[in-house]
Amino acid sequence: MCDVQAKLIAWLDRELSSDEAAGVERHIEGCKECRSRLAAYEQVSNTFDVYCDAVVTAKTRRRVPRWVPVLASAAVAAAVMFLAFAQRRVEPPPVLIPTVAATSVPVPTPHAAEPAPRKTIHRRHAVPAVQERAVKWQPTETAVQIAIPAEAMFPPGAMPKGMNFIAELSIAPDGSVKQVRLRQ
Amino acid sequence: MSDDSVPLALPLFRLAAGSSEVTTLYRELRKPLLRYLVCLGLTSDEAQDVVQDAFLSLQRHLASDGTQENIRGWLFRVAHNQARNRQTSYHRRFSEPLDGEMDFLADDATPEQRVLEKEKFRRLATAIRLLTESERECLLLRAGGLRYREIGEVLGIATSTVGDTVERAIKKLAEKCNV
Repeated sequence: MCDVQAKLIAWLDRELSSDEAAGVERHIEGCKECRSRLAAYEQVSNTFDVYCDAVVTAKTRRRVPRWVPVLASAAVAAAVMFLAFAQRRVEPPPVLIPTVAATSVPVPTPHAAEPAPRKTIHRRHAVPAVQERAVKWQPTETAVQIAIPAEAMFPPGAMPKGMNFIAELSIAPDGSVKQVRLRQ
Repeated sequence: MSDDSVPLALPLFRLAAGSSEVTTLYRELRKPLLRYLVCLGLTSDEAQDVVQDAFLSLQRHLASDGTQENIRGWLFRVAHNQARNRQTSYHRRFSEPLDGEMDFLADDATPEQRVLEKEKFRRLATAIRLLTESERECLLLRAGGLRYREIGEVLGIATSTVGDTVERAIKKLAEKCNV
């Protein structure tokens, strides 16, 4: 075992003096085993870092903002009104086609309203993305977006002027509300 | 960590006039502090409370002509001590399984990649739980960008001890994770 092995992690962390660092660098140039260990230490450090990010993201996603129940109530009320309106005009089909209301915008695909991509682990191991989306996408459920002005839910001045929230409703083929998602 | 992955709660405190340095520090260190605290075991809400309290303490510290050396280490130490005071959360660190929560990590990857990522994380999580408290804390502070000297100040241990602890912890993880 090389004596330098005890200094590899400190070298990785830039904690060695310049003389010690130069000695380690000279050694690893000619020592395959130390280079291999160094790579392993660096990889596990990076994985630990990514894991910490994932822990934070996972815990943050569990957290439900206090205004969500208020907004959810408004969205559900809007959904009920929408369904009552839509079902008077459309025969009960396998797929419910939404009628455009004044504040409703049909979404062409269920993926169009996905939030902006986040930095995720798999991007560090980038593999060319395989497009597995079906070319002929057949909707099995209907998505509806409803814009709700922030002023309608919060006291004046509490939110920046002109801010809207979007309530996204997924309508199941039987006409029921399958999912309500809120975003800014 | 992307900007989107951290809750955008507004700070409850109001920075004093002329405290642009504190504002800059807040922008720079808020996320690393949140990450450290959440990984210690605090909930997202608790971590945000602790970060705000730490910056309030910093304002008082600076207003009373306290030392301005190594403010980053000072903030981490204050946050660390406040986290320790929340004993229940503090001892929850890394103990909660994240398997179900982490499906989103590979939502546009192939099934094989998802399996590999989850397996890699599962092994790492198991290995982390086997570390000592000191080893975990050293690695978390190291992941927060602190130098060994700063880590020693936060944890109240010698710099050389930090070096030994970090080395031991990384070697344990590398061995257990087989990387």
